Amino acid sequence: MSPVIVCPSCDLAHRQDSIRTTERTQCARCRAWLQHPDGAALDSAIALALCALILLAFSNAYPLVTMQANGNSRDTTLIGAALGFYAQGYASLGALVFLTTVIAPLLQILALLFVLIPLWRGSRPRGQHTLLRVLMQVRVWSFMEVFMLGALVALVRLAKFAHIAPGIALWCCVLLMLCLSELTSITSPEQLWRWVERSRE
Amino acid sequence: MNSPATGRSLGLLLCLNCRATLRDAKLPHSRCPRCESRVHQRKPHSLAITTVLVVAAAVLYVPANLLPVMTTRTFLDDEPDTIMSGVLVLLQSGSWPIAVLVFVASIVVPLLKILALAVLLFSIWRGTSRHRLQRSQLFRMVEFIGRWSMLDVYAVSLLATLVQIQSIASIIVGWGAWAFGAVVVLTLIAARTFDERLLWDTAPHE
Repeated sequence: MSPVIVCPSCDLAHRQDSIRTTERTQCARCRAWLQHPDGAALDSAIALALCALILLAFSNAYPLVTMQANGNSRDTTLIGAALGFYAQGYASLGALVFLTTVIAPLLQILALLFVLIPLWRGSRPRGQHTLLRVLMQVRVWSFMEVFMLGALVALVRLAKFAHIAPGIALWCCVLLMLCLSELTSITSPEQLWRWVERSRE
Repeated sequence: MNSPATGRSLGLLLCLNCRATLRDAKLPHSRCPRCESRVHQRKPHSLAITTVLVVAAAVLYVPANLLPVMTTRTFLDDEPDTIMSGVLVLLQSGSWPIAVLVFVASIVVPLLKILALAVLLFSIWRGTSRHRLQRSQLFRMVEFIGRWSMLDVYAVSLLATLVQIQSIASIIVGWGAWAFGAVVVLTLIAARTFDERLLWDTAPHE
């Protein structure tokens, strides 16, 4: 292995022996994070991913909010919000909402499970490299926490002229958001590759 | 002062996908031996691609703010709402924390992102080596806050889906929402095509 760590943000080379791998370390020049600590357990990552998968299923199966005005009642699901744009002729906006709130979180969770479960069982997963690459690409487009804030803004605006009842899915989305952010922080690229390399030893 | 040892000066290459350090990579057609993704000394054509994306985002920022993002249609009249008038509606209804949130996320953040990226691109183009740390930190801030401007797109999607009560009121999405969504996506991609290391490639000023 190379005894040098190169900073991903400014390309400065650091001698590895001056850095302990158990600590979060900053680059001496640009202060970017050079590495994240090796701490999390494979089991807890899998447990979190499974939990997120269940929450995502619930978030999509039940209505997010129900609105009542003048005896009329309407509700919407997570996918329904994307379809609302599509129904009004803005397919690209619908696709953007669908990708960032349903597809990206789903792919993120599935890719992680397909890589981590074989590692946990001690077998060599197939398509591991592709899955990890997909995971890194997809993770940046998973916007659950932004969606929650957007939903809050919409509810505040509606609360003025209608009765708004939050649905089960809204609470599932909140939990999903927490789950995903913890999952992302314990499965940094370095950590994932540390697990992969350990399984090859 | 000697110029410090960098990955480039030592002939080392960093895989941005899996963070492996590569020696003796055969550029420009190298793949990372660990994760098999393409590796480059710097992201290819970073300046040109990022510039095009930022210019496109700056152009679309105008209709995104001037065109209505949605129109509320009641049996009395049509009431178009731009992003700014949406903020004012929130302010008048007394929910000022939410109004400030929308104002920052939808108006300030996209503008800040476009300006910051333009300043960074210009500084690299001029080859200046001053304030490198501050510029690097500015870029990281742009990267961090970028996603939060999607907030208004989600709010409009929920409003347009829920408020469809034919006899009383319905909300119709406007082209402003489309332009706004495009601004957010373009700036998000621009932050990913921008290679932060270009800020540090100039020789130190001393």
